[in-house]
Amino acid sequence: MFTVNKQGDAGTVTAPNVVVPFYLYAALSFLVATFLLCASPVSPGDHYFSPHTLAITHVMALGWGTMIILGASHQLVPVLVEGKLYSHKLAHLTFCCAAVGIPLLVYAFYTFNMGWPAKTGAILINTAVALFLVNILCSRAKQDNVHVVFVVTATCWLFTTTFAGLLLVFNFTQPLLQEDALHYLPLHAHLGIAGWFLLLVTGVGSRLIPMFLVSKYTRPGLLWWIYGLVNGGLAGFVLLFLYLHRPVVYFLPLASILAAIILLIRYCYNCYKERIRRRVNKQVKLSLLSVSMMLIPLALLVVVTVLLLVTTENTRLVMVYGFSIFFGWLTAIILGMTFETLPFIIWNNVYHIQAGRGGTPSPQDLFSNKLFNGTALSYLLGFLLFTGGMLVQQGGMIRLGAALLLVCAFLYNLNTFRVAFHKPG
Amino acid sequence: MMVKTNFDLKCTIALALLQEVMDPELGLNVVDLGLIYALNFDEVHRRLETVMTLSTRHCPMGASIVDSVKAQLQTHFPGYGVEVTLTFDPPWSYERISEEGRKFLNA
Repeated sequence: MFTVNKQGDAGTVTAPNVVVPFYLYAALSFLVATFLLCASPVSPGDHYFSPHTLAITHVMALGWGTMIILGASHQLVPVLVEGKLYSHKLAHLTFCCAAVGIPLLVYAFYTFNMGWPAKTGAILINTAVALFLVNILCSRAKQDNVHVVFVVTATCWLFTTTFAGLLLVFNFTQPLLQEDALHYLPLHAHLGIAGWFLLLVTGVGSRLIPMFLVSKYTRPGLLWWIYGLVNGGLAGFVLLFLYLHRPVVYFLPLASILAAIILLIRYCYNCYKERIRRRVNKQVKLSLLSVSMMLIPLALLVVVTVLLLVTTENTRLVMVYGFSIFFGWLTAIILGMTFETLPFIIWNNVYHIQAGRGGTPSPQDLFSNKLFNGTALSYLLGFLLFTGGMLVQQGGMIRLGAALLLVCAFLYNLNTFRVAFHKPG
Repeated sequence: MMVKTNFDLKCTIALALLQEVMDPELGLNVVDLGLIYALNFDEVHRRLETVMTLSTRHCPMGASIVDSVKAQLQTHFPGYGVEVTLTFDPPWSYERISEEGRKFLNA
């Protein structure tokens, strides 16, 4: 017989006005980042520690990647914890602090004014992350599952990253650290890349991909291994960086992260293989492609680390490495997942009151397939041309790639705003 | 697919009606998805109790699906007070998808 729950567990969806602003902000940030990429083209010989590159990187990492993940997390955390989001007010405050802090920090990098704009921006971003962390911790279920642990740990790493960033910003004007910002940049960057993006995407993706594919495959044990390898690798890297700082030892954490990514690819492949739903839509295909795109930065990281052993740092390869993370893996998964999540959020809001009356479009009808195809095509071509141009030091390819990425961002924005402001016909 | 009932004929009618209520993500109806656990008719008090589940607890589309089920039954059983009760015990599993549902998903 059944155990019934008279109160029901169905009416606990996070309000769209909490989630949608994050999506729109992220979309505009992607447009800004690609515009900056075109307006101040990267030359093959540029160093990654340059004002424009730092500005573009932070638009991508914070404005694009982090904002959309924060938005989606406010929607998905109730599913993961099987409860309500603790506070909508905290979510709004998170958005406000980040929305003001990010442009201040980016402006500071672009003009290399590390005075009040950088400091205020960094403080506001840290406040936003701290508020999000409180919201997530207070939303936690009585019994944690592996996905919740991924999200909580990733958010702790995000706070560590932004706090390290805050110290680096203040270090420009008041020496707080033993070395300069350039020295600590790899630490700051990898705390964010592996600790925040990789853990979060793995934790949420490992829950969503089987749902979208209608797959019977579940292996929490495998996910715990991935969790241990990513965290172990990252913690090892932090300790080795701070106390040993010899390139040869970096292969240990690198091997740990590589093993985690291989296990994640295996997990996704098994989900795909054991799916009940044969038809896989384009959004999920692009997201699955992004998982294998993780191998590009990893391969580059191996090469960069090997070169560090025999010669000095190859800044060109480091630039391609960073580009392949933010414009490659991360962008691919966001482009796919936006149209697998946002249309449902909007549909639920717009058509809920018409439930059961028939004649309503499906969530997939809310976005344009043509715009999505254009976005995906311009993205893949733009990414390949830009990356190839950087590798072979061909300025024309880089500029064409940047232009195609701008087209991609424009089409993505058109489609995202079309969904967000959908009105029933 | 097993749906418990105390009134076979009306249950068949109700299930036919509920085949028009879709899971928006999968495009598959709630009956073939195996979300309906029981349909109990109280002829004395003119009440229809539906016991159902969702594929995921706190599914973002959950409220919409539950309201759709209620609205559909209310429209076609006008004299009845329709009550929809959610349960996650036992939890939904892929084994609950009907043959027709599997054919649809495999197509």
